[in-house]
Amino acid sequence: MFFTDTMDQEKLYALLAREMAGELTEKEAAALEQLLQQYPDASYIREVFAQNWAPAGKVYTPMQVQLQLEKHQQRLQNLPDTTPYEETPAGGRRWLLYSGIAAGLLLLFALGGYWQYTQKAKLPPALSQLVTDKRMRSQVLLPDGSRVWLNAGSKLDYPQQFAAHQPREVTLEGEAFFMVTADAERPFRVHTKAFNVRVLGTSFNVRAYPQEDSAVASLVQGSVEVVLNDASSQVVSLKPNEKLTVPVHPATAVTTENTTTVNIPVVVYKTKLTTLRDSIIPETAWVQNKLAFKHMQLDRVVNMLEQWYGAEINFSDNRKKQLYFTGVFESESLEEVLNALETTLSFSWHKDAEGKIWID
Amino acid sequence: MRENEQIKGLFERVCYDNSIQAYNELYIALCARLIHFSASIVSSFHLAEEIVSDVFLSLWQKRNDLSHVQNPVVYLYVSTKNLSLNTLRQQKRHQHHSLDALNTDMLAIAPDAENGMVSAEVSQKIERAIRSLPSRCQLIFRLIKQDRLSYREVAELLNISTKTVDAQLTIAVKKISQAIRFDLSDETAQTYLRLDS
Repeated sequence: MFFTDTMDQEKLYALLAREMAGELTEKEAAALEQLLQQYPDASYIREVFAQNWAPAGKVYTPMQVQLQLEKHQQRLQNLPDTTPYEETPAGGRRWLLYSGIAAGLLLLFALGGYWQYTQKAKLPPALSQLVTDKRMRSQVLLPDGSRVWLNAGSKLDYPQQFAAHQPREVTLEGEAFFMVTADAERPFRVHTKAFNVRVLGTSFNVRAYPQEDSAVASLVQGSVEVVLNDASSQVVSLKPNEKLTVPVHPATAVTTENTTTVNIPVVVYKTKLTTLRDSIIPETAWVQNKLAFKHMQLDRVVNMLEQWYGAEINFSDNRKKQLYFTGVFESESLEEVLNALETTLSFSWHKDAEGKIWID
Repeated sequence: MRENEQIKGLFERVCYDNSIQAYNELYIALCARLIHFSASIVSSFHLAEEIVSDVFLSLWQKRNDLSHVQNPVVYLYVSTKNLSLNTLRQQKRHQHHSLDALNTDMLAIAPDAENGMVSAEVSQKIERAIRSLPSRCQLIFRLIKQDRLSYREVAELLNISTKTVDAQLTIAVKKISQAIRFDLSDETAQTYLRLDS
């Protein structure tokens, strides 16, 4: 690109700067379009400025931000005057209601406060639910400051407020990554169909999709205990960088062979978490919007791709299910991922008229 | 702009509803940006992390007296700036306690080579171009490009006019554009230009 007119050049830089800052007026926008037609190469520069940039030095990942928050919360708790920070709108209104009922009865009115207090403890906690569709991932900050990343096609039930001196309990169907704030008085528990995870303060991943034949708990930091939900109630403790895989009989099999499956002891296995390039752990890569798998059977890879992209993928040749693949993807489209895997020459793929994908 | 409104909403919930959850969300939304800003003043990420934590502690303590705050983002940046400069003053490590002696290592940003718009080489050239700018100019570029502050917010934070912000940003954009321009023969750029035409 060679600018002939320095005036134009200076003007172009000023307009690109204002556009990037979101300070462009309508008139200036028109002027910019005109200049870009004159110097088409500058549209590349414009596009580079429109991209998201990243710090060239230290970067705070979502996980590091979470750790900062935890450190900060500890300092906050040590402040002298910060204990009473309960959020009370709902409680306040309830008190009004109870005192209204009691207003006609002098004696009860005197007891109202106490009755309300004891009643409050017995009320079932109000539940919240976070649900993600295929292709969608989400995160939520729980009332205790713990953060949960929810992967595609998953469901998390949690109370709007965790009770004092009682375990913090949530229920998961699908996959989630947890960073739990430490609270020795209130252990954190994750319930799934296959097992429950008991936690103090730690970060870990749970994968328990109902349609899969195993459920997996992976521990990154801290320590957890996994309690199996079968007759054995076997307890397995995990150390950092270990994962536990629990085979699950598909829901249909359990109902039809009810009597036979119950007594078969479940064989679980513990393995080490291993990293891919740039210290990516495949089990938790999705938290950073990366799709990663290491030496994984193609039918499992296909499951992941279906969740990730919300597509339907079928095998026309079932033998291909046994192929193993390793890879890390971030912003690639489904077609790009399939093409990349296809370059191994071990399979080919095509899309049919309905948009279904077939692996041949 | 939408992000700014979200932050304003969180800030109000902290001040009027005493919401600890909104407070945590606010911390998560802003802490990385504020730490980088503070680190450029105090030359240490470790110190900056503590300073930003202090800023948020004081926010929680003063939450019921902040109804006058018009722009929470500017308020938190100004608090971070003041506390960072105070920390320098207490440490007496530096002669100048102003924003003139910035450590620009903490400020450099560059396009992500991973998203395919630029090659790693061009990304490095851009980074070098940014590092060659005066420190104040680098700070303004970062506050606008990365932290998404508006001209008015930057002007308020640095006590300069919006005209100065505009002029400084133009200088930065010019320098970076020139770095990219020399590389238009670069393969990534060529692919883009061919796709575009």
